[in-house]
Amino acid sequence: MAKTILEVQDLKKHFTHRKGLFSAVKAEQQSIPAVDGVSFYLKENETVGLVGESGCGKTTIGRTILRLEKPTSGKIIFDGKDITTLSTDELRGLRGKMQMIFQDLDAALNPKMRIREILTEAIEVHHRIAEGSTEKRIAELLEMVNLKKSKLSNFPHELSGGEKRRVGIARVLSVGAQFIVADEPTSALDVSIQAQVVNLLRDLQQQLKLSFLFISHDLRVVELMSHKVAVMYLGKVVEMGMAERIARAAHHPYTHILWSSLTEKQSKEVSRKAVSVQAGRWGVFDFERPVSGCRFAPRCPVYEARGRPEVCTDPANEPELREVGDGHRVACHFPL
Amino acid sequence: MTAPLLKIEDLRTYFYSKSKQAFIRSVDGVSLEVGKGETLGIVGESGSGKSITAMSVMGLVSSGPGVITGKIGFKSETVQKNLLQDLEDYVTLTRTDGRIMAVQKDQDGWREVSERRMAKIRGKEISMIFQNPKQSMNPFETVGSQIAEAVRLHTDHKEEKAAKEKAIEWLDRVKIDSPRLRYDNYPYGLSGGMCQRAMIAMALSCEPQLLIADEPTTGLDATIQSKIADLLAELKSELGITTVLISHDISIISRLSDTVAVMYGGTVVETGPVKDILSRTAERKHPYTSALLTSIPSAENVKEKGHLQAIEGDVLDTINIPAGCRFYGRCSQVTDKVRERCEQQEPELREISSGHKARCWLYFD
Repeated sequence: MAKTILEVQDLKKHFTHRKGLFSAVKAEQQSIPAVDGVSFYLKENETVGLVGESGCGKTTIGRTILRLEKPTSGKIIFDGKDITTLSTDELRGLRGKMQMIFQDLDAALNPKMRIREILTEAIEVHHRIAEGSTEKRIAELLEMVNLKKSKLSNFPHELSGGEKRRVGIARVLSVGAQFIVADEPTSALDVSIQAQVVNLLRDLQQQLKLSFLFISHDLRVVELMSHKVAVMYLGKVVEMGMAERIARAAHHPYTHILWSSLTEKQSKEVSRKAVSVQAGRWGVFDFERPVSGCRFAPRCPVYEARGRPEVCTDPANEPELREVGDGHRVACHFPL
Repeated sequence: MTAPLLKIEDLRTYFYSKSKQAFIRSVDGVSLEVGKGETLGIVGESGSGKSITAMSVMGLVSSGPGVITGKIGFKSETVQKNLLQDLEDYVTLTRTDGRIMAVQKDQDGWREVSERRMAKIRGKEISMIFQNPKQSMNPFETVGSQIAEAVRLHTDHKEEKAAKEKAIEWLDRVKIDSPRLRYDNYPYGLSGGMCQRAMIAMALSCEPQLLIADEPTTGLDATIQSKIADLLAELKSELGITTVLISHDISIISRLSDTVAVMYGGTVVETGPVKDILSRTAERKHPYTSALLTSIPSAENVKEKGHLQAIEGDVLDTINIPAGCRFYGRCSQVTDKVRERCEQQEPELREISSGHKARCWLYFD
């Protein structure tokens, strides 16, 4: 049995939103629950995919786990160690083991540094290695990510999207990270390049026994990359389980609709169901629409079909993730 | 096929890169046609010249040298002309080995003639949905008044009240909830999907003959994407409007189009009916198209967790265009028989079966 590398327990991250200049004085702060009680674990050499609409809190989870954001409450256990409240100094040692591939290619690489400098810096900050061996390490990395050596003297803006992505991956590997949060690593790329990057990440996982938290809104890519998938809606995980089951045997109406929007030839029934979901974009938190009970209820076709049962909107009765067999968990009062 | 409403022939739109001292051949000899009432899908990777082709048709390319040569034939009931007619006089091209190496263009002269002509056509005859709905709306004006403005400019509803009613009617037609309330919303108050609907309403409100939709679903969530696609399909069957749909998302294109043009490195490499080109089973297609199709994770692919078939190498750099076939460096189907020709001579776009044209030496003997 592979060991658990990361465990997240009831993680919450609320951002405060201030209204007006004196809000702090008047205590009129409103908090936005970007991540509102998420628990999951990740085993070594495993990929957990995180899907959901934009604004549902996927990226915030990734950032909070790496402690780039301070969690509001909950627990993050990395490699058997509680890192929820570690100080910046204590975290520094761990940064060599956990890293993030950032979504924005251009913002992630310093435009004034050549690729060689970018990689050298990453290697030397985290490891004391003998002079001269940096060069060797860089050569190794380039080979791993399949990047031409001639690109080392280029600036980031001279590289194509796929090449920049490779540099980003090489930098993460250069510090020897075992756990990687990959935030939309393929979203800005063309399909032909996307395929290259997906293949590369999977090859690297096998070679180096990496563990990924793979964040994406591209359902096909997530399914392809991940062993397990967690589906998020408004800061909560609504369904979690093996990738194949999430894709083909979903129990939560939201998951079902997400995946059915993929199928090119939609059945009439599915698209009719999907209509009510797509009518509004309530995937992001809205102060004017406070959550009471199940967050998905206002868009839920099952809720409609069952004649709006009260339990779905009962504030005291928000559905919890419940096991439905084989490690498949669902947060819904009326699972499909 | 019905008579083409829009027929582009050998269109070339270049830009000049000062730092590289060379032309960026964004659109390099594109020929396309769309029949009346049909939908043409243009697919291709970023940088293949899809959007610039659309912008050239709209006369919206402003940096130099821009559109330099070609024909854009547009034949509706009221307008029948080549949109680039007489504009050649403003351009002098110097060719070396059949390739344009220098361009002298009288920008102001070209601009004046082109603008005068396009002002009557843009919005009224041809309208466009842009890639980024939020950025293409005026942030200081309400969504409704922007649509009403277009209505007043281009249709017979000149009065403010009538224009407003018309705008609300269109907001309703694109299925925006409570259109009367939304009329007074500013663009920032609408979500991405709603903004895109409003853009579609604006584009259609003047009942144009041709709609150019440039990546109408990019940047939206999956559920919203399929909803916008549904809307476009519905409007198409309702209004019978001719559409040019540009996207890199092959599933959207195959769902909505009748014919498809695949672009690579500034040219059309393959064009024909959707079923001949975008179905995985069809044989005889351009190597680029088949490589593109196999690089998308398919259902089987995902199930088996198999390796994706990536296209090696990078998207063509349109500054240094090779002498031979543009796809030669990345092509996996080159055989010894054609290798030499692939390397040295660019193939033409030729018919390989009825209505289906490809630009590949494999199919010419």
